[in-house]
Amino acid sequence: MSEESSKTVTIHGRDKAGHRLTSKIFEEQVRTAAASADHLLLESFGQHNIGLRLGDPQTPLTIEAGGPVGQRFGCMGQPGATLICKGSASDDVGYLNIGADIIIRGDTTNGTANAMAGGRVMIGGSIGARGLTMTKWNPDYPKPVLWVLGSVGDTFAEFNCGGTAIVCGIEPKNEKNVLGYRPCVGMVGGMIYYRGKTDDSYSRTNAKLTKPTDEEWQWLIERLPEFLEAVERPELLATLSVREEWNLLTAITPQERALMFSGPMPMAEFRHRIWSQGFGGGDPLRDLAPDLDRSVIGVIETGDLRRRKPFWANRDSAAPCTFYCPMHIPTIDRLRLIREGRTEEAYEMLLRYTPLPASVCGTICPNLCMQNCSRRKVDFSIDVQILGRAVRTAEPPKALPATGNKVAIIGGGPAGMAVAWHLALAGVEAHIFEKSNQVGGKLAQTIPWERLSRAVWELEIERFLKEDNITVHLGVDMTRDKMEELKKEYDYVVVAVGTHQPRTIPFPGHERVIPALDYLKAAKSDQPIKTGKQVVIIGAGNVGCDVAAMAYRLGAQQVTMVDIQKPLAFGKERKAAEELGAVFKWPVMTREVTEEGLITDDGTLIPAQTVIISIGDVPKLQFLPDTVETVSVAGGSWIKTDEAGRTSDAKILAVGDVERPALATNALGAGKRTAEYIVAALKGEKWLPFRKKVIQYESLTTAHYDPEDNKGTTQDEQAQRCLSCGSCRDCHLCETICPTHAIFRRELLPDKDKVGYEYVSDDSKCIACGFCADTCPCGIWSMRPF
Amino acid sequence: MVSVRSIYTTPSSLTYSDLPWIIQHREDRCTLCGRCTSVCPVQAIYLTYRRQRMPKLDILQKKRGNEYRHFVGIRQRTNIEKKCIGCGMCSMVCPNEAIGPVPNSNEQRALFHLNQKGEAWKRGGRRNMPGRTTLDRIVFDRISMLTDPALDAGRHEFNLNTILGRILPPEEYIRRHTAGEWIPPTREIFPFVIGSMSFGALSPNMWLGLLQGVAYCNEVLGIPVVMATGEGGCPPWVLKSPFLKYIILQIASGYFGWDEIIRAIPEMQCDPAAIEIKYGQGAKPGDGGLLMWFKVSKLIARLRGVPEGVDLPSPPVHQTLYSIEESVMKMIQTMSMAFGFRVPVYPKISGSTSAKSVLNNLVRNPYAGGMLIDGIDGGTGAAYNVSMDATGHPIASCLRECYLDLVAQGRQNEIPLFAAGGIGKNGNVTQNGMALIMLGASGVHIGKYIMQATGGCLGNEMGRCNVCNIGICPKGITSQNEKLFRRLDPDDVAQRVADVFMSIRTEMKKIMAPLGRSQSLPIGMSDALGINDADAAKRLQIKYIC
Repeated sequence: MSEESSKTVTIHGRDKAGHRLTSKIFEEQVRTAAASADHLLLESFGQHNIGLRLGDPQTPLTIEAGGPVGQRFGCMGQPGATLICKGSASDDVGYLNIGADIIIRGDTTNGTANAMAGGRVMIGGSIGARGLTMTKWNPDYPKPVLWVLGSVGDTFAEFNCGGTAIVCGIEPKNEKNVLGYRPCVGMVGGMIYYRGKTDDSYSRTNAKLTKPTDEEWQWLIERLPEFLEAVERPELLATLSVREEWNLLTAITPQERALMFSGPMPMAEFRHRIWSQGFGGGDPLRDLAPDLDRSVIGVIETGDLRRRKPFWANRDSAAPCTFYCPMHIPTIDRLRLIREGRTEEAYEMLLRYTPLPASVCGTICPNLCMQNCSRRKVDFSIDVQILGRAVRTAEPPKALPATGNKVAIIGGGPAGMAVAWHLALAGVEAHIFEKSNQVGGKLAQTIPWERLSRAVWELEIERFLKEDNITVHLGVDMTRDKMEELKKEYDYVVVAVGTHQPRTIPFPGHERVIPALDYLKAAKSDQPIKTGKQVVIIGAGNVGCDVAAMAYRLGAQQVTMVDIQKPLAFGKERKAAEELGAVFKWPVMTREVTEEGLITDDGTLIPAQTVIISIGDVPKLQFLPDTVETVSVAGGSWIKTDEAGRTSDAKILAVGDVERPALATNALGAGKRTAEYIVAALKGEKWLPFRKKVIQYESLTTAHYDPEDNKGTTQDEQAQRCLSCGSCRDCHLCETICPTHAIFRRELLPDKDKVGYEYVSDDSKCIACGFCADTCPCGIWSMRPF
Repeated sequence: MVSVRSIYTTPSSLTYSDLPWIIQHREDRCTLCGRCTSVCPVQAIYLTYRRQRMPKLDILQKKRGNEYRHFVGIRQRTNIEKKCIGCGMCSMVCPNEAIGPVPNSNEQRALFHLNQKGEAWKRGGRRNMPGRTTLDRIVFDRISMLTDPALDAGRHEFNLNTILGRILPPEEYIRRHTAGEWIPPTREIFPFVIGSMSFGALSPNMWLGLLQGVAYCNEVLGIPVVMATGEGGCPPWVLKSPFLKYIILQIASGYFGWDEIIRAIPEMQCDPAAIEIKYGQGAKPGDGGLLMWFKVSKLIARLRGVPEGVDLPSPPVHQTLYSIEESVMKMIQTMSMAFGFRVPVYPKISGSTSAKSVLNNLVRNPYAGGMLIDGIDGGTGAAYNVSMDATGHPIASCLRECYLDLVAQGRQNEIPLFAAGGIGKNGNVTQNGMALIMLGASGVHIGKYIMQATGGCLGNEMGRCNVCNIGICPKGITSQNEKLFRRLDPDDVAQRVADVFMSIRTEMKKIMAPLGRSQSLPIGMSDALGINDADAAKRLQIKYIC
């Protein structure tokens, strides 16, 4: 400004009449003057936007405003311009300034340096609110700088991007707060040097407070004298040169912000310092639930934190074969022993359940066990008859030492034989009193030899009679007196007389009709009943079928089986009768029987020389003392028994068909049950009936087995096919599948079932996934809450 | 030769495609680690062995026959009691993204069979009706552009709080003040209140985690959040703690836990924030509370003063109250007096056509501190599905009607209305809440949203999870079984509470700033609302926009 060519021009803000020029006219005059002068003195009178877009770096320009200035002094200031306001200025000083030096010797109001992108604004006093907001910084140009000698108003440096501010705190408007309320909101760049007290309300998420570094201090101290010169306060240099008094607020970068804790206090610290203290320094539930552990656990846990755990429930449930067999023969164990090569033990075990394995299990039984065999869900049931017949030549098992007790058994049929057999094995003397001349009851007397091989039968009877402790008295007619004697002489009397009184119907000519029981008994004797060419059998059940087969054997050519309802015959018996040519007719009601045959209620004649009635038999109980209660059903009297076979007379028990008519297998089961009861009672022990639950088919994993084309013909093949329901087959699959290696196998001393191992799940490893239960082919593992 | 006897059907036999959720398992990714079956809360999935027949049908060879391939997989059970609930815990624990439930887009036949043994279907959650709600569709369209002082949500200071309690008209206030008469108690609280969820419905870790978060909001963040206890009392140490002032104690028709509260009164360091008298609940209006036996643990039994392991139903009504007048008078009087008339007392009713009648009684009752209306979309820990889905009244029009009724009487500034029921159902918690505030609510209660946001509740309105009632919550939010609730870290819950309220605070400012409101909550400022549904606009008396 001190160059030779310097030219000063003065411009007046009022016309000659003293009226204010508009900002527009004033600006035109200033702009015109600036074209030819480098120093303008403005006698301004409140005009706005003074200095707007004037000057350039090549031709510097100084404008001094002596009078009052309007808003936006130094607006859009250019580099090369120096704009001086000798007094105070209004709003928005330096608005959008890009390079001018703007010097205000007094104060300014709001919006100072708003959106400034370059140049310097130097304030000799203080500024109002919203100073230094929205500043910019273009990296190709120097940063904008705002100098304030005094203090700044509220909401300073909002959204500050690039501006540097120096707030000196000299004669501040508010001594307690030189930076105003809540500076730096949204500040993303730039820095603020300040000196003096603040209310500490700067935005913590936008700015951080530090002390100037050496470099930053150097920058400040180098520029201070020029600022103080510009605002004509050079005497303050020493006052402002105390480095310790200066602070610096700088913008926090988004990267730094991301690393900062979002709240003012970490939650763990809050819990320790404030939360727990509110409850006297402990858990707020300690009085209500003293032992409650609320500490955090994971989602997959072991040990007691599992919701369920696996149990190796070996042999807890019964296999269907065992459950449905009236004797509860554990066929799965027979097959296990065979698999293990312990065939002799398997045979002996079977004989400990039944005296007649080959005749009943192997021949005449409909095999309730196999009707429910789980293997049927894969292909076919196990062939249990192979197993039964295999035992026909086995020796009788050894009995326990004699106990000195003895029991009388009236009737030597399957029920009586079973009682005798099991008592004998337990060391109790069993005396059978049989009316006929042989043991075996109806099995011996009425089942045709075609169905029950004589050779097999005789072997089994021979074995039965060989057993120690069994005495058989044949041809004994039981009477009431004799019963009284037996009651006195024996510990118990067991009634097992079966049903040997045929049922008949009193239609005309009923005397011509032969009861099936008599017919079959005679047929198996030396004097079979003469049989005509045409035979009618009334009652088309399985016994009727046996009768039909026998009639064909004895010379019949045409057998007609009639029934009042759909025939109940099934299985082998029915198949045999049908193959021989028997014809089933139903519903047929008999009107009468004549010489010609059977006349139905609609008058039709079914010609027959022989008419046989096969509608069941009832017990003959004339010897029974009055102390034994009976119940009358279906034209006969039956003995009332409980689940052990006990009657209303404490010394008399009853088993088999005298309780209710059923299969030979049921008779054998009843005999075993009652014998076991007697043995327990004699020893003074508690007797418990069979209580195991049948295993749920769903708990087995049958997909481990492939379907086969046929059942196989050997017992070894059956042993391989058995699913071993409910009984561990020691296959190690659970051990293998367990994902956490929790399951292991442990050797044990063999138990009563000769199982010498167990599988164990280690609680400290198990996560209760249930894979063991889902994998086990036998349904042993189960998952239960605990 | 697979026996057909193994296939057995009953009327209720279902196949996987009948179930609401279908488990997709990728055998090629599965490592058989067992975590999915271990974590499944209902044992819906299991390891299965499958057998595939591979016939050998070589026409040129004499040799024929079948071979079998065996493979394993994780499959879902199809019996109704073990049907997949869609919670997705299996996918959460799977190391290989091999498993997860997908919603069945088909009709779900299972729905016809949920009533086994004559038991009507009970569940937790809320009305299973997905989609945008009326509240979701409301927009704030009165934006002040140069017409009002420009407000900046990030920069300006806002007063976001609301008043709970009876506010006297100025002249009456001055008169009473001058005369030294009783002035009804008020509380300045944050307008988003954590709604009633009982200690019992919630697990100890969840309930205490919420309270810890509320305490943090108040004491560290300066957000005056309060939470309501629900019916079931409050642990004695909490009653005697300085945090009681952040708690609204609820009394409901079962009166569970009140003996402990009364016992603690002499030892209380401060007053509770308010007393809420529960008459009804949005999820099951006209039906009582229900804490099923699964959840009545030793701790809960002790706190509630009941035997362990029994069902705890609350009757639909308070047994000794027979009319609105009586209810209002007896209950509000007793509860006010119990705390020396220093605590605001207000009833909570379910959204219904009778809400206005209750309100009119409250207006005439000098002790009534407000009214809370809970709409049909409210959640619950246990209710009959039919109650939840089909009974009740949406909150928007119910609240609006009540507010306009107050306006007609010129009493709208005297008795604050609080609204609840489905706020934040689709995640828009602040928008929903502010819409209700501008429709006339002084504040809103949020329950299910809080469970979802702070506990990680997996439930939704598509029938996902919804098993809060039987205590098997896989996140530990609504279970009383230690093995489950210990999965939840109370510190995490508290942190999420703080997160939620910090963000609601910001969003409220973002809504209020453009309206030019910063110094008072825009209660009833319905000229700022618009909806693109002419019928709803007419019913709510707000602008129809499109």
